[in-house]
Amino acid sequence: MALINLEDVSKLYGFGDATTLALDEVSLSINKGEFVAIMGPSGCGKSTLLNIMGLLDRPTHGSYKLSNRLVERLSPSRAAKLRRDTIGFIFQSYNLLPRLTVLENVALPLAYKGYSLTRRLELASSMLERVGMQNREYFYPSQLSGGQIQCAAIARALVNDPTIIIADEPTGNLDSNGSRLVMELLSEIHKMGNTVIFVTHNPELTRYATRVVYMHDGLVVQDETSDLGQVAKTARRNLYSVPRKSVEDDLAGVSLLMKVMPEDDKKDELAEEKPKSKRRKRGTTIRRRS
Amino acid sequence: MSFSPGHIKGAIVTMRANRWRSLLTMFGIIVGVASVIVIIGISQGVKRDITNQVNSYSKNVITVSSRAASVSSFGFSTVPAVSTLTNQDVKALAHLKGIRASVPLYLLSGVATGDRSYPSGVVIATNQNLPLVLNQSLAYGAFFNDQNSNGFSAVLGNNAARALFKGSIPLGYSFTWGGQQFVVDGVLNKFNVTPFSNNTIYNDAIFIPDIVASQFNHGSSSVFQILVKAKSSAQLPSLAKQISLTLLRTHSGQHNFSVLLPSQIASNSTGILGLLTELTIGIAVISLFVGGVGIMNVMLVSVTERMHEIGIRKAVGASNRQILMQFLIESTTVSVAGGLIGIILALLVDVGLRDTTNLSPVISWQVVLISALISIMIGIVFGSVPAFRASKKEPIDALRND
Ligand SMILES: Nc1ncnc2c1ncn2[C@@H]1O[C@H](COP(=O)(O)OP(=O)(O)OP(=O)(O)O)[C@@H](O)[C@H]1O
Ligand SMILES: [Mg+2]
Repeated sequence: MALINLEDVSKLYGFGDATTLALDEVSLSINKGEFVAIMGPSGCGKSTLLNIMGLLDRPTHGSYKLSNRLVERLSPSRAAKLRRDTIGFIFQSYNLLPRLTVLENVALPLAYKGYSLTRRLELASSMLERVGMQNREYFYPSQLSGGQIQCAAIARALVNDPTIIIADEPTGNLDSNGSRLVMELLSEIHKMGNTVIFVTHNPELTRYATRVVYMHDGLVVQDETSDLGQVAKTARRNLYSVPRKSVEDDLAGVSLLMKVMPEDDKKDELAEEKPKSKRRKRGTTIRRRS
Repeated sequence: MSFSPGHIKGAIVTMRANRWRSLLTMFGIIVGVASVIVIIGISQGVKRDITNQVNSYSKNVITVSSRAASVSSFGFSTVPAVSTLTNQDVKALAHLKGIRASVPLYLLSGVATGDRSYPSGVVIATNQNLPLVLNQSLAYGAFFNDQNSNGFSAVLGNNAARALFKGSIPLGYSFTWGGQQFVVDGVLNKFNVTPFSNNTIYNDAIFIPDIVASQFNHGSSSVFQILVKAKSSAQLPSLAKQISLTLLRTHSGQHNFSVLLPSQIASNSTGILGLLTELTIGIAVISLFVGGVGIMNVMLVSVTERMHEIGIRKAVGASNRQILMQFLIESTTVSVAGGLIGIILALLVDVGLRDTTNLSPVISWQVVLISALISIMIGIVFGSVPAFRASKKEPIDALRND
């Protein structure tokens, strides 16, 4: 039984000459317990798809069944209730509210569920322990590293025991260590029976997924199962990862294919294409933590 | 249920994070609430004092004035140029039944000079019944009376005594007025003064016997007021009617005089006070409104600034209603905090006024409660537009907005 069932879902942005077709009659069904990676070049509609699946946005056309229930035209309050009860979100950045402590951030979804304060903090605390952040409960987001922020975000996504975890480039701002940390966590969640859907630009990360969906120009162009621990075949061919190419690369005549192709199984090459300086900075923060 | 997500705590956290902004936002509310409480307090205090004084000085006293005179209750420095009351009226009223005593008050012009000259003093010709009618005793000496009065004796109001003479007890001192020398027989106790009340004039007055005065003005001096004291308060209404009828006869049917009961005197004074109070409250209400608009403005800015936060909250399951409540509670917290500061400020001003002036404002818990309710209402009313805006935002639009 499919948990998520999209049929001919289209999404149009804008109107008149400025209309963008972000999703073009996409049909996709995802079963319970799958760990789906969505890949594709920038602007191909990955985030749009995730937002529709996560009930943050509505499709322009098409139908969406979540647990066999039509949800594409839900009222705002019903959509909010479904998000609260069944979906956990992790975004690329700015996941946490800066004025709340990590603990309060993680407890936030429970507040909207009407749990008592003590119960909220109790649950949030145990969830932080599960992601290895118990000693950061009373920190503010500004006092955390990028990887720690994402871990807290994962704890928050999990705290209301959702059936689906939706993560839009959760490792987009992280270096290789941070990425690994986050992906291992998601992988653990998956092993406990959760359905995880995430977007990534890094082909290496498909080794965590059981299924990889490739998109292009609002279409799903390929959909393959992938063995855990293995980089997906198509991803290995590097069809769709289109990292940003720097001016220096152009001058040096470095081909994109050369830059991204994973060299065998060297773990340290997990990192996304990022400016070197930024990567080093993130690296030091992570290292200091461990 | 809507309160459960710790909105109040969140609101306080937000307020702390923007301490200055919050304080400035509250300013209009603070000023509005404080001035409403202070003004109502002052006005009620003065009203109470006036009532007390009317009860002590004008108990059972019917005040008969020339028509123009009632207008002059704005302050007694302005005295009607021509009075419609005459000696004839004084005589007619003195013989009415049910009267305990009656006193004419003639206003005379001219400056008295003792050790010093006293240009701001008022010279009033009257008779020996004045202390009885006004229920006022003398500080020193005795009031002149028809029997012992050798003519040129006088009794001074408390301020007048100090203004005319250097000595502390001016009994037997003399001053000149209208080319004549007068000897001071007595000094009246000080009348408690309240704004807009009759008593102001008595403290500044120099009282001389009316018999003497009539010689000066060749029997045609103008009567400022006639005070008629009834034997009991039960007789007041019927006596007032009788006075009116008598005067109508002597004035050949013309109603160019007023006959006021003690209660009317009080309401006359408090009427003007009420008008001033209403004006000031009007200004305070404008201040509250401006304060409310300030809150609305700041909340609108805050909603825009925190769009991403709203997006995150909606993504983790906040309903429109819960977001609405969050922002409503935030704006209400700001306005209520403003209201509380305003109330505290009003209490401080009250203490200050008691210390530095002779006002004793009455701050009633009802007014404080109403102010608190008003500040809650302002928070809700002016916070609702920003809160609705926040709640109606689609989650995805809120998230995209950085
Ligand atoms: N609010 C919007 N208004 C107009 N067009 C939009 C809007 N959001 C997205 N689009 C367009 O829809 C298309 C798909 O956008 P989307 O964000 O889903 O891409 P993406 O695959 O997530 O890209 P990236 O990898 O860069 O995050 C893009 O062409 C984008 O320009
Ligand atoms: Mg995207």
